[in-house]
Amino acid sequence: MIILEASNIYKSYGNKFNKQEVLKGLDIRVEKGEFLSIMGPSGSGKTTLLNVLSSIDRVSQGMIKIEGKDIVGMKEKQLAEFRKNHLGFIFQEYNLLDTLTVKENVLLPLSITKTPKKEAEQKFAELATELGIYEIKDKYPNEISGGQKQRTSAARAFIHEPSIIFADEPTGALDSKSASDLLNKLQHLNRKRKATIVMVTHDPVAASFSSRVIFIKDGQVYTQLNKGNETRQAFFHDIMKTQGVLGGVQHEH
Amino acid sequence: MSINQLIFRSLRKNLKNYYLYVFALIFAVALYFSFVTLQYDPALNEMKGTVKGAAAIRAASVLLIAIVGVFLFYANAIFIKRRSKEIGLFQLIGMTKGKIFRMLTAENFILYYSSLIIGIFIGFAGSKLLLMILFKVTNIEAIATLSFSEKALVQTLVVFSVIYLFIMLMNRWFIQKQTILSLFRVTSTTEVKKVSVLEMLIGIFGLVLILTGYYVSSKLFDGDFATINELFLAMAFILGSVIIGTYFFFKGTVSFLFYLLRKRKGGYLNIGEVLSLSSLMFRMKSNALLLTIITTVSALAIGLLSLSYISYYSAGQTARNTVAADFSFMNQEDAKRFTEALKEKGIPYKEKVIDVIQVKADLTSILENVDSSILNVDLAAMPVPVIRDSDVETIDLPPDQTLFTGYQDYLAQFMPFKKSGQIQLKGKHEGIKLRYLGLEKTYYISYRFTYGFPTVIVDETIFERLKKDIDPKIQKESTVYIGIHISDEEKVEKADDMFQTMNFHAPADSRLAIISNQKYQFGLIMFIVAFLGLTFLITSGCILYFKQMDEGQDEQPNYTILRKLGFTQGDLLSGIQGKQLFNFGIPLILGLSHSYFAVRSGWFFFGTELWMPMLTVMLVYTALYSIFGILSVLYYKKMIKEAL
Repeated sequence: MIILEASNIYKSYGNKFNKQEVLKGLDIRVEKGEFLSIMGPSGSGKTTLLNVLSSIDRVSQGMIKIEGKDIVGMKEKQLAEFRKNHLGFIFQEYNLLDTLTVKENVLLPLSITKTPKKEAEQKFAELATELGIYEIKDKYPNEISGGQKQRTSAARAFIHEPSIIFADEPTGALDSKSASDLLNKLQHLNRKRKATIVMVTHDPVAASFSSRVIFIKDGQVYTQLNKGNETRQAFFHDIMKTQGVLGGVQHEH
Repeated sequence: MSINQLIFRSLRKNLKNYYLYVFALIFAVALYFSFVTLQYDPALNEMKGTVKGAAAIRAASVLLIAIVGVFLFYANAIFIKRRSKEIGLFQLIGMTKGKIFRMLTAENFILYYSSLIIGIFIGFAGSKLLLMILFKVTNIEAIATLSFSEKALVQTLVVFSVIYLFIMLMNRWFIQKQTILSLFRVTSTTEVKKVSVLEMLIGIFGLVLILTGYYVSSKLFDGDFATINELFLAMAFILGSVIIGTYFFFKGTVSFLFYLLRKRKGGYLNIGEVLSLSSLMFRMKSNALLLTIITTVSALAIGLLSLSYISYYSAGQTARNTVAADFSFMNQEDAKRFTEALKEKGIPYKEKVIDVIQVKADLTSILENVDSSILNVDLAAMPVPVIRDSDVETIDLPPDQTLFTGYQDYLAQFMPFKKSGQIQLKGKHEGIKLRYLGLEKTYYISYRFTYGFPTVIVDETIFERLKKDIDPKIQKESTVYIGIHISDEEKVEKADDMFQTMNFHAPADSRLAIISNQKYQFGLIMFIVAFLGLTFLITSGCILYFKQMDEGQDEQPNYTILRKLGFTQGDLLSGIQGKQLFNFGIPLILGLSHSYFAVRSGWFFFGTELWMPMLTVMLVYTALYSIFGILSVLYYKKMIKEAL
């Protein structure tokens, strides 16, 4: 089942005289339960694509459907409504509210959907244990490490069981240990909960955790790789090779 | 790029940051300069002499410096905090702290003194307006002309230069204690994490202190504090306990209640609570002092404004109570000459003639607490004015009953009457026992007969009996009151002009003349107090508003996150409204309550009406104060809108 479908999307910034086209007729399809990575050199439009797909930014032209609903024509209020029910977010900067504890941060999306307190409590306990943040639930964001913050952020994205979770460079600010830790958890949640994840990254290691990688260059899809039955290691090497062809900075390994 | 270029560039680029600071400065200078111009205006010389106004004005101008100084320090503190990143950057590229300070000082100098000049111009224009208002409230008929006073200019320049020096010192200190690291990192820790037993106790103690203060204030003039020294001690105690109590209230009680509320939620907060409750708790400790100051200043302003407005407002009522008509006479001949003059000019009027005799009365059984020593009168044989019921249209009494009417409030404080009881009127030979029905508010005869004590109304037959049995020794110079009511309200002034030109044999009063005399006496004081009160209001409102702007900017990243998560602008705004209701509402409500108790404890020294003037002041204050609350919500609205 196709959960996200974007066809022929254009996005440009600036005015009539100084126009910069970032996305030039891009097509993307995401299946339900998929863990998709979007890669590309910097300036290729990765983050713009993610913002557009996740309804934070608007396209200049084109069609985007999530679960069969066209989100391009939606009004600001409808979009907000849509985001809070169907989408989850993990950002590069942890994006937690300093004023709230870990638990309060995680439960935030549930307060909108008016989930009963008991159910919310149960969901939190389950998810927080899986992500290993249950012990720090009453701490404030400035008292915990970067990895813990990002896992809290991930818990917030998963708690209301959204149709799609968008992650923008989730490992960007983490050390390699915390990063692989987080990615393992994401992979685990993707498999166990059949959660659909769309992740933007420039890190081939992070991308190798996903099931499919799309490469974009100059605002268009360049190519894509499927993991299939390969091992993560083999998939990682494929990604590296493609990236080399793509003209990104070659990794020395 | 030389350092001079750097100064001008950063000045240009920072104008957006500066506008708040510039506004605060211009406003403060204008306020101060207009007041000082008034102080040196020759038109005021006459007034200063009359009401010891010189001292009052000087005291006020010192107070004004204090308010303005605090206000500017605060604006500067917010302003320099906003630029801390920039300062860090300069340090990073190798500028010494001294050089950064010199740069900031030069930048500030240009800004400060150009705002000072603009402020002086605005202040000069404003002072004319102020003078016109002053003339209006003091009933002086003069054209407000102003001369530019050099003395005022010099004084303003000196005062603000001194403030500038202090601000620079503060900046120097700020730059000195910063390290490059701390300038880049905004420390963000929540201030209320766990509430200890000690804090709980502090919270409860705060409430107790406030209530004790209120209680003592209600007992202040009940005779428990006999000497002036005791009275002063009691007042100092009230002031101290209420202010400290307020501080503890914000520091302990509020934190404690918030903590309980949040704990009960078990981590499951809705959007409104996220933006109000948790955001308030995040800064509670450091805000406690500010909120206490705002509360105290508001209470002070409302209290002073209420008292002075009570005296001003009561001028009309006092005059009405004193004269009991538009004009009053004690001599038929005087009255006749005046009414003939009225007829000549074609001014319609009504004449009311009431016979008044003085009779000794035994009031001991209807007085609440019989402590006649303060008033130095014999309560068992106190001379009171007596009139007959047929002279008062609306009242008809049976022979064995009596009604009191018109009792001045400050006397009523010391000698309150019971609701009903028995009194005895004593003529020279005969005593008449009457049932006392109660006290009414209307005044029927002038102060020259009553001296503030109530008028006793009795049945016609009783009146005749008393009149025959009269004691000549205690009578006033006349036993007849003649009140003239001018039927056409607009012609009272004309009649008053006539009254002023005539000479009378016996004492005669004009209501208008008494009003203008009262206004002349209290007008200047009221003007000064109102000026200070408004300054308090505007500065405290501005400080809260600035503070909220600061918080709004700090919290903008949070709004970005929340909007990304799918909360609408409306959701966020409703949370913000809750927060502002607390930030502006709680100091206001506490301030209103403080000032209510303060005013209640001693209002009767100032006039005859409590509720009307006090409520008017409170309503106007609340309305003006709310403007700042609304402004801050609008500011937040902008922040939220720009967040995504």
